[in-house]
This record gives sequence, structure tokens and C-alpha cells, in this order.
Amino acid sequence: MPARALELLGSTPVRQALGIVALVAVVSVSTTGIAYLRLRDGLEETILTSLDQSAASFSTARTAEDLRRQVAAEAAVADPELRVVVLIGADGSMTGNAIAELGNGRPELRPASEGRPLADHGYEIRVLKDERGTLVLGESREGIGEMGEVFAFLIGLSLVPTLILALAAGLLVAARSARRVVRIEETLARLTQGDLQARVADVSGHRDDLSRIAAGLDRMAQAQEQSVAALKQVSADIAHDLKTPVQRIAVLVAELRDRAVDGSPEADLADQAIAEADRAVGVFQSLLQIAQIEAGSPRSRFRTVDLSEIVATFADIYGPAAEDSGHSLRVDPLPQKPVPVRGDKDLLGQVVANLIENSLRHTPAGTTVRLSLTQNAGGVVLSVSDTGPGVPEAERSLVLRRLYRLERSRTTPGNGLGLAFVAAVADLHDARLDLADANPGLTVTLTFAPSSSPPT
Amino acid sequence: MSHWSTAMKLLLIEDDKTIADYVLGGLRQEGHVVDHVTDGREAMSQAMSGPYDVLIVDRMLPGLDGLSLVRALRAAKVLTPAIFLTALGGVDDRIEGLQAGGDDYLVKPFAFGELSARIGALSRRPVQQSAETVLAAGDLRMDLIGRKVTRDGIEIDLLPREFALLEHLMRRKGRVQTRTMLLEAVWDISFDPQTNVVETHISRLRAKVDRPFDRELIRTVRGSGYKIEG
Repeated sequence: MPARALELLGSTPVRQALGIVALVAVVSVSTTGIAYLRLRDGLEETILTSLDQSAASFSTARTAEDLRRQVAAEAAVADPELRVVVLIGADGSMTGNAIAELGNGRPELRPASEGRPLADHGYEIRVLKDERGTLVLGESREGIGEMGEVFAFLIGLSLVPTLILALAAGLLVAARSARRVVRIEETLARLTQGDLQARVADVSGHRDDLSRIAAGLDRMAQAQEQSVAALKQVSADIAHDLKTPVQRIAVLVAELRDRAVDGSPEADLADQAIAEADRAVGVFQSLLQIAQIEAGSPRSRFRTVDLSEIVATFADIYGPAAEDSGHSLRVDPLPQKPVPVRGDKDLLGQVVANLIENSLRHTPAGTTVRLSLTQNAGGVVLSVSDTGPGVPEAERSLVLRRLYRLERSRTTPGNGLGLAFVAAVADLHDARLDLADANPGLTVTLTFAPSSSPPT
Repeated sequence: MSHWSTAMKLLLIEDDKTIADYVLGGLRQEGHVVDHVTDGREAMSQAMSGPYDVLIVDRMLPGLDGLSLVRALRAAKVLTPAIFLTALGGVDDRIEGLQAGGDDYLVKPFAFGELSARIGALSRRPVQQSAETVLAAGDLRMDLIGRKVTRDGIEIDLLPREFALLEHLMRRKGRVQTRTMLLEAVWDISFDPQTNVVETHISRLRAKVDRPFDRELIRTVRGSGYKIEG
């Protein structure tokens, strides 16, 4: 797994190990470097002294011929890798153990023959010029060069094992903590997904920063699970303790209804009572559902769902109902291919249903309700808009609250929970919910971030 | 009046007396034989001993809760269809119920008609098999291959969704289908919208299938739903 390896290299212990290696390198290079420079200065001085001495020895020759002989004798014995001596006579003749070409400045040296190579590291050169000719003396810097190699080797010798040891130690520590870090990361991911039973349960036995983080995370998850469980318990209690009596009422009224003659005022009253009981239960039901959604638990059931299919289905379901109430329900051309998002199909369907119902209910006959679904780089955008009276800007955030109703909607059916439900589901799906002016009318837009739309 | 041609043997597991009496009364009036227990443990042995057509299980029971009861029955290879009655109506609760091995899930308060229709759907009476290519109800014929509907020889032009709705009703000829059952079967949605969407679709279908003819085939069953007559 190259990704895993990269992650390991980027981990804190490895970074720290590499930091230590860098520090050791700086110290080692600077101390060794200073020693090298001092030794080199000493060697250079020796070379220069030696040059001075040989220059002095040649100055004893009296004639040009004497000098040439002396140079020839010296050249015969001197190894050009160590010392170069060349005389270029006034007539241009060359004597010596190498070939020197005089340029404008420093003479260029070349080997005199195959068998007599020159030094690799260059020479300290002295050029003496008088009427007898030009004497070129060179003293090899071989010693300095070799010393440099020795010092470089020394630096390497001290650094490479340090590097290997430090990196190995860093990787070992990282690998040991990596498993624990991965566990922590996985636990966080599962908790975020709504799996409230996820725990790190660190049993490494270490008492370090990671074990403290793990323990803290577990405590937090425990607290969250308990509060969700408490909420569930309350929900279940409400459901049971309130809905059961309502069911009993409904049962009793239904029996009453059975005894009444169809079409009689008694039957009519009984029917109304049953409808009211249904409405009361509808409100409990919606409140409980919103609470469950806000607790985040449905996230563990997320699948890839096709929003395009959901929009088409609900446009189809509501088409005749819209027509009957004098509305016109239109769907803008849907994308040709599926529009996948990660989510809960039932909840998303209910959102589309709520938005359509909201528009049908709060706008007069003759209003057009338009559904649209588009997909672009910014994500998936689902919108339901109408040409009705709209929602005043100041009240747009209020209508998302539970049980809030606009003044003019007091008399229309609905329990004031439709948009609160939409807001809770949007939040659960990390989708942005916007209410805007449709000039005239209301546009409700849900924007699903691209991350929540899986690749097709 | 009974929705069934044959009586069924049912087991009701419900501890609330008012609701139990109501359900028992209704089911017995329809001609079924119904046993009733109020405790989960008792229900376990009862369900394992006798052959029942359908189990009606309250989720919150003393002794052993309904979810664990059905799970235990399934583990013991008792595959009798079970419908849960429950006050818990969250999405999670519904899925939990189905995962435990329940076949259907009815949230309280429910109308008796809804329960009755759903028990009928669970009773494993064969629906008209998909192998058939022509469905019939009275003088109404549906050609599943040619996607053609005729009544009394006159072709009726239906939209695809109207066709699906009619097909669902015709396959279950004589059996009541509630609004929520139709929503689940035809549109695959498991919640009940507040607007009367099913009624509007049925009325569109009726306008084409029934209105031009003298006999009404698609019948409304008060408090329950719809059925198509044979």
C-alpha cells in the first residue's frame, strides 16, 4: 500500500527522526570541515615551501645549458604525479617530465608521455622567467585531494549510520503508533457515520498522549451514545405513552362510527374525531422523526441514490393532485444520466414530497410549481419553486423552525413541520438549504456538495 | 362482510386490552379464527405449537419484546408471516422490524381496514402469477405483453403509471389494497404523504376504466382502500 507507506513517512516520529539526522549532519559537517580546512592550510604551506626550495636549487645554475641539464636530470627522476619540472628555453625547446603550454596566465600542463600521467588534483605552480628561459615548477596537490576524500569518507561514516539508525527508530515508533492512530481515525469516521457504538478501546497498555486521546474519544462517544439512547428512550416513551391512548381513542371512536348510520351527523362527527386523532399522531410522528434525524443515526444506512429518479417519481405522484387543486406541476428537463448522491432514499423522497406539498398548500390555484435538478462542478442542485406569494425575507429562517407558521397560513392545513423536516434532512446529508425570492414566489434550493455525490 | 373467501387462523400478540378487543372483534367478524396472547413468552410457545396463517405482533410486550420474539421464531425456522403493530414509527424502527424477520410493519394508530388488508396481503394466497399474459376482471382485459387494456372490446389508453396501478389491482382481484400499500407497490415509497395523492391517481384511472361503462369495477372500500371486482 504506497499510500499507507507515504502516510508512515509523513508521521510525526519519522519527521522528528529526520530532524535529528539533519542536526547531526550539521554538527558533524561543521566540525569535520573545520579540521579539514586547518589541515589543508598546513599541507598547502608545506607544498609552497617545497616549491620555494626547488626554485632556489635551480637558481644555482649559471648558464642556460647548466640549467637545462639540471632540469633534465631532475625530470628523469621526478614522478610527474608528484612534481612537475619543465624548462622552456629561450629558443622554445622544452625539457622536463611534462609538457607545459604558456598562455597568458597559468601554464597548462599535459603528460609528456603515456607512461607518465599527471596528478588528478592539480598542482601548485610557480613560473620563473629570465634570459635562460621559462622554468615551470609544479608541486602536486594530490595530498590535499586525498585528504579531502578521507574527510568526506569520515563524514559519510559518521552520518550514514546515524541516518539509518534514526530513520529505523522513527519508523519503528511510527509503525507502533500508526496502528493506534489508524484505530482512532477509523473510530472517528464510524462515529461520524452514525455508528455510535464505535470505540477506540486502546489496549496497547501505553500511558502516552495517544492513549489519553483514545480514552478521551471513548468517553466522548460514550456520552454521545448515552444522550442519543436517552433521546430514543424519551421518543419511545412519548410514542408509547401518547400514541397508545390516541390509538385507544381512535379505536373507540371507530366503534362509535360503525354504529352510526352512514351520512348521519353522528357519523360525520366520528369521522372528524378520527381525522383529528390522525393529525395529532402525525405531529408526534414528525417531531419524533426530526429528533431521530438530528441525532444522526440514519446516516449509517446511507446508500447511493439517484436523485433524478426520486424527482421523477414524486412529480408523477403529485401530478394529478396538483392538477386537481388548479396548480401546474412542471419538471425542468432532468439530466440524461443518473444523479447519484449518498443518502437515505426514503428521507430524500419525503423532502421532495414536503417541498411540493408546501408549494401546493400555500399558493393559490393557477400557480406554477417547478422542479429542477442540475449537476455541475459545484455539486447537485435540487430546487422547487413556485410563483405564489413567497415568504418575506425576515421570516425565511423562521419557517425552518419546528411548528412555526406564517400568519396567513394559520388556516391552511399542515402542521408547521414540513420545512423543519427538510432542514433536518438537508443537514443530515451535508446539503445546503436556501430559501430565496423567485420574483414572485419562493424558491427552495438544496445543494449537495460534490463530495456527497459519489463518482458514477 | 369478509374480504376473504376462506377463513384464516391468526395469532394476535397484544397486551393493550382496548386495542386487542378492537382487532379481535374486527377479525372475528371477518370470519377468521383468532387466538390471543398478551405475553411474549407465552406467544413464543403458542406460535411454535400451532400452524398459523399470520402472526400479529405488538412490538412492546411484557416478558419478551415483539422484535426478539420474531427473531427467535425465525431462528427456530418458524416462517409464519408476521406483521408488527407498534407505536414506534421512525425509519430506524421500521427497518429494525423488517430486519428482525417481520414481513410488514404497521404504526399505531392504524385503521382496522389497513390491518385487515395487510393481513390479507401476507396470507400467501397466490396473486395472479406473472407467468400469465392476460389479466381479467369482469369485462376488463389487460394484455401484459402488448401492454394493452380493453373493456368490452374497447381499447383504453393508459399512461404507464396508470397501467402499473391497474395491473397491481387486477393481480389482486377482489382483495383490498390500501393507499399505503399502493404507494409501496406502485411507487416504492414507504411513507404516507399528507396530500391525497393515491385518490387522485385512482380517480384518473376510474375516469378511463369505469366512467364510460355502466358497471363500476374499481371499488372504494370505506376506511380501507380500493379493490377491483371480479
